[in-house]
Amino acid sequence: MGKQRITIDPVTRIEGHLKIEVEVKNGKVVDAWSSGTMARGFEAMLTGKDPRDAPYVTSRFCGVCFSVHQYASIMALDEAFGATVPWAGTLLRNLSMGAEYLYDHILHFYQLTALDYIDIMAIAEYQGSDAGLNAVKGKILGLVGAKDTFPLTPRYEPDEYCVKDPEVVTSAVKHYIDALAINAKARNMGAIFGGRTPHYQSLVVGGCTQYPDLNMVAKFRTMLDEVAAFIKDIYIPDVMAFGTGPLMPLAKAGLGGGHLNYLSYGSFMMDPEGKEKLWPAGFIKELDLDNMQAFDQQKITESVKYGWYNGSTAHPYDGKQEFNLDKKGAYSFVKAPRYEGASVEVGPLARMLVAKDPTLLDLVGKGVKPGVVARHASRAIETQQVVDACYKWLDLLTAEIVKPGFEIHDTDHWQPPAEGQGAGFFEAPRGALGHWIKVKDKKIENYQAVVPSTWNASPRDDAGVRGQYEESLIGCPVPDVDNPINVARIIRSFDPCLGCAIHIIDPDSNELKKFVVQ
Amino acid sequence: MRKPWFDDEKALAAVEARGVDRRDFLKICSTFAAAMGLSQVPFAAGVAQAVEGAAAKPPVIWMEGLDCAGCSISFSGSLNPPAASVLLDSISLRYHEALMAASGHQAEAAFHDTIEAGGHVLIVEGAVPTADPRYCMIGGKSFEENLKAAAEKCAAIICVGACSSFGGVTGSMVCGGVGVSEIIKDKPIIKLSTCPVHPEHLIGTVLYFLATGEVPELDEHGRPVAFFGTNIHDNCRRRGHYDAGRFVTDWNDPAQKDYCLVTKGCKGPMTNSDCPVRLWNDRTNFCIDCGCGCHGCASPTFYEKMSPIFM
Repeated sequence: MGKQRITIDPVTRIEGHLKIEVEVKNGKVVDAWSSGTMARGFEAMLTGKDPRDAPYVTSRFCGVCFSVHQYASIMALDEAFGATVPWAGTLLRNLSMGAEYLYDHILHFYQLTALDYIDIMAIAEYQGSDAGLNAVKGKILGLVGAKDTFPLTPRYEPDEYCVKDPEVVTSAVKHYIDALAINAKARNMGAIFGGRTPHYQSLVVGGCTQYPDLNMVAKFRTMLDEVAAFIKDIYIPDVMAFGTGPLMPLAKAGLGGGHLNYLSYGSFMMDPEGKEKLWPAGFIKELDLDNMQAFDQQKITESVKYGWYNGSTAHPYDGKQEFNLDKKGAYSFVKAPRYEGASVEVGPLARMLVAKDPTLLDLVGKGVKPGVVARHASRAIETQQVVDACYKWLDLLTAEIVKPGFEIHDTDHWQPPAEGQGAGFFEAPRGALGHWIKVKDKKIENYQAVVPSTWNASPRDDAGVRGQYEESLIGCPVPDVDNPINVARIIRSFDPCLGCAIHIIDPDSNELKKFVVQ
Repeated sequence: MRKPWFDDEKALAAVEARGVDRRDFLKICSTFAAAMGLSQVPFAAGVAQAVEGAAAKPPVIWMEGLDCAGCSISFSGSLNPPAASVLLDSISLRYHEALMAASGHQAEAAFHDTIEAGGHVLIVEGAVPTADPRYCMIGGKSFEENLKAAAEKCAAIICVGACSSFGGVTGSMVCGGVGVSEIIKDKPIIKLSTCPVHPEHLIGTVLYFLATGEVPELDEHGRPVAFFGTNIHDNCRRRGHYDAGRFVTDWNDPAQKDYCLVTKGCKGPMTNSDCPVRLWNDRTNFCIDCGCGCHGCASPTFYEKMSPIFM
């Protein structure tokens, strides 16, 4: 049997514009190409601007994970400005990021991926007496009766891995609807300290602008209680039920495993000096957990051989990169970052492996191999960790607020320095995120970001080694080329964020060559 | 054009049958009706009728160009009414990349079937690249080509957010992003230009259109007067401090926490939007409340002319 090529364009239920092409032979994927198909050009635009614009503007990389870009950006500015953030300022930042995590992971599971794992039409068979589930059944049957089931259909045909039990499916759809409201409440919770959201306002270089009081703490805590209950009672049980039930064969087969290289920058200061972090940094090569390596940002290089750029492989801050839409052989706006030359995965699975999280390792012990199911499980595990951390941060913030003269901002370092540079590293919901800034004459001389989906969604590098999306698709079962549901499952398990992944360097600027991070 | 339907009782009964509380529903309608300058009772009846007639649910196409999906997320944050009920009860959402079940060729088919039939409401998030159409490709075609095709037979276009309204942050980038009205000239275009869109601006506009079949009164920039007719500075809760000459110099000083932010770069005096009154995130706050100032995101000249953001 010959090869058949399938193109999925657009890949939906992700952030941004993504095209996936796969070659299928004998019912399995034998080759794959991941293409980011949109570019705007943030960094070049920032050149010459007031450095304090950067967090505000780079938040617009992505309207889903806006806050993490703002955070990485202000951390880069903190260093460049020489600012010392008061502990209360860090706690306000942490709580604002925590709210982002809680909404973002729930959104990913229910709104962006759950429809790949259920046969929604099984709802018609629900015969139970639960009033809430019957209301969902009535709503869906009403849509069916009116011959208008958009946007729930059309869809890929359900396969043997889809949950078809009417009660489970009806519950899942109810949770889908409930999750929209919980997401909104989690974002509203973030707005208490972060300001209007999406796109927070109060996070600035040196700290925060929102002067907090104990009413705000109490409001946040009350809203957190509701979100936390949903996570504990609904979200985590759903993920575990799906993952260890109908999806167990996929989990044991390690569907979507890919290169098995994992990178985490580590995140969330748990004390004023940042000695302890919620998640550690580290690099794992070929799943060798016993030989964890320390993270060293000098080991990052970027290849553009298959990207619509001129230039050659270099450390991202040394390379000369020019935009080239007509380049032969190129197929993506995403660059190809590599760590020690390796194509790596970043995100929840990488974080939980680097942290040697006992819950994940327990699942691995039960036969769950790194891949689609392990990714969903890792996301659920760390969501609970963020909930627990948010309660801690609220207590710590309360202890700060009651101190006379407590501070939230380094007022002495608000104005841009004549010269300076800095880097901000953060673990975004989708993985390792870095922003770098260089300031000259109080303006931005250069700005760079290497974001999670650039790592995961990258095209091939100079050596022809596939990016992690591409590699994770190899061997993916596609029994019916008209219904490549497993391909979609693998890609969505990464939680793609293509708006973030793509940035363009000004083709007329050679400034990048001079950009060196200490 | 759809005319409002005045049989209140029947319509409200139909709304209740869909699990929506009658009082909640009327409250929502009166809020929006007041905002839009409408008589409240016929408006509620008109919306109820629109909600009741499932077969009459208007087809909606939601396109994303040079965007960040922030407007989609913002819309999904509506609690009253819930975003899920808008999606499933009020409109027939045929295409929305971030939400729809379909992918690839199925998504493309839903898109093309809907725009071929026509009469749909076209919601656009994100700007159109002018430097080169290849800066945004979807389904093998440029966003601009898809946009023109989708606009051809649409009933009206609603631009959500700054990017589709006026170019927004993409306006000064390499891609050369512009608003939809620079490309489409022969359709009614409603611009809801905050970055991101306010969910109530969008839902209010959709409900108005469903109830009347008409575009609300727009200002000179194409924005609904009901939402963008007032200046932020005029309605600001800190206005008294401005008049008294009290400005924030230190965010650590509790005595200053409600002072005016103009000296920190607030763009409220040059920006029109009802943010100070409507607030955001279920009435949690808005940009000035959190001590940061307004950055003029609703303005036609955002972002380039609003830079520097801070002082």
